[in-house]
Amino acid sequence: MEIVQKFGLETKLFLFQVVNFLFIAFVLKFFLYTPLKKIFDERKHKIAQSLQDAESAKLALANAKEEQIKILANARNSADRLTTSVKISIEEAQREASLKAKQCSQQIIQEAKDQAAVEFKNINKQIGKMSVDVSGKIISKVLSDLFTDDEKQKLMSRALEKIDEKIAN
Amino acid sequence: MQMVPDVLFSIMGFPVTNTVVATLITDIVIVALVVVVGKSIAIRPGNIQNAVEMVVDYFSEMTESTAGKNAGFIYPWVASFFLFIVISNLLAQFPGFETIRFYSTTFCGEGVPLLKAATSDLNLTLAIAVMSVVITHYLSVKHMGIKAYFTKFITLKMFPIFLFVGILELVNELTKFISFAFRLFGNIFAGEKVVMAMYDLCPIGLPLPFIGLEIMVAIIQAVVFSILTMVFMHIMTDKSH
Repeated sequence: MEIVQKFGLETKLFLFQVVNFLFIAFVLKFFLYTPLKKIFDERKHKIAQSLQDAESAKLALANAKEEQIKILANARNSADRLTTSVKISIEEAQREASLKAKQCSQQIIQEAKDQAAVEFKNINKQIGKMSVDVSGKIISKVLSDLFTDDEKQKLMSRALEKIDEKIAN
Repeated sequence: MQMVPDVLFSIMGFPVTNTVVATLITDIVIVALVVVVGKSIAIRPGNIQNAVEMVVDYFSEMTESTAGKNAGFIYPWVASFFLFIVISNLLAQFPGFETIRFYSTTFCGEGVPLLKAATSDLNLTLAIAVMSVVITHYLSVKHMGIKAYFTKFITLKMFPIFLFVGILELVNELTKFISFAFRLFGNIFAGEKVVMAMYDLCPIGLPLPFIGLEIMVAIIQAVVFSILTMVFMHIMTDKSH
């Protein structure tokens, strides 16, 4: 009893402290630990979900990379094919163009030759006509002094006939 | 040396001591903490929620690593003991404790301290020690069954060795609350007296290292009480022990 008095032990205070602690424990259990436990569980669930998402994202990334490599390879192949076909068509077009140009030039040359031949014929005719006119004038000039007018006329008409025959031939 | 808390006044025969006032302040702080955390509880914690979560998670993890599947019903008690003891111990280090005097016609001269460390009152330490032991035995009966509970103390296996061991266990259980109560009371009461002695010697500077030491003791004692409670609860609720 002396120890109890020395330490100030008292039933009322002891019971007050017991009730007080039980009250605090109740408050903590129902208003702190339970909501916190819920939050912990929710957080754990979220973390697990995020890890799963990250894992699937990693997988998707790997798939996308694989897909990218495939697409790039396909694109390279089609680009190569396209380049080759374009090269071939360019070569064909060049060949065709040069062939056309050759044909065109040959045609132009032929046309020029034909034109030149026609021109040559026309010039020959004109020269012939001019030479007939000149020779006629020369003959009439020369014959006017040697022959009479009737003789001149006969000779002239015979010469003209002969020339006409020659020209016609 | 006075080890009895000072009675400030009485309400209907109930003596309101300075340690009772300190206990009520501890209650207010805990309830305020619960309200603040409860109101702003979120998956992304704020500063206060983070600190409280750290304590609760620490005890939850530690209890789980020690008690395994029994952790679910042990850790709330362990964390409650820790929070209650650590808050009342740390509050006693605030200015005003032991220094603010209460004057009344009952006291003559210089009055008595209005606030005194709640855990420097044996009534409180004994109450929580008894609660710790009683709750431990309650959980033991609840989770192991009455037969397995009594087998821990009374058994006829290898008679009379285990019977003697059982009696020793019983004595051990009875002395648990004494060791719990006096360890906490002794440490806090002694610390308080040391700090007061330093104040008397030189009030400027000298008490500071001792206050630092007291803060350490306050946390260590709360951890010791909680961990011992956790270990005893685990031993008493586990059939293999």
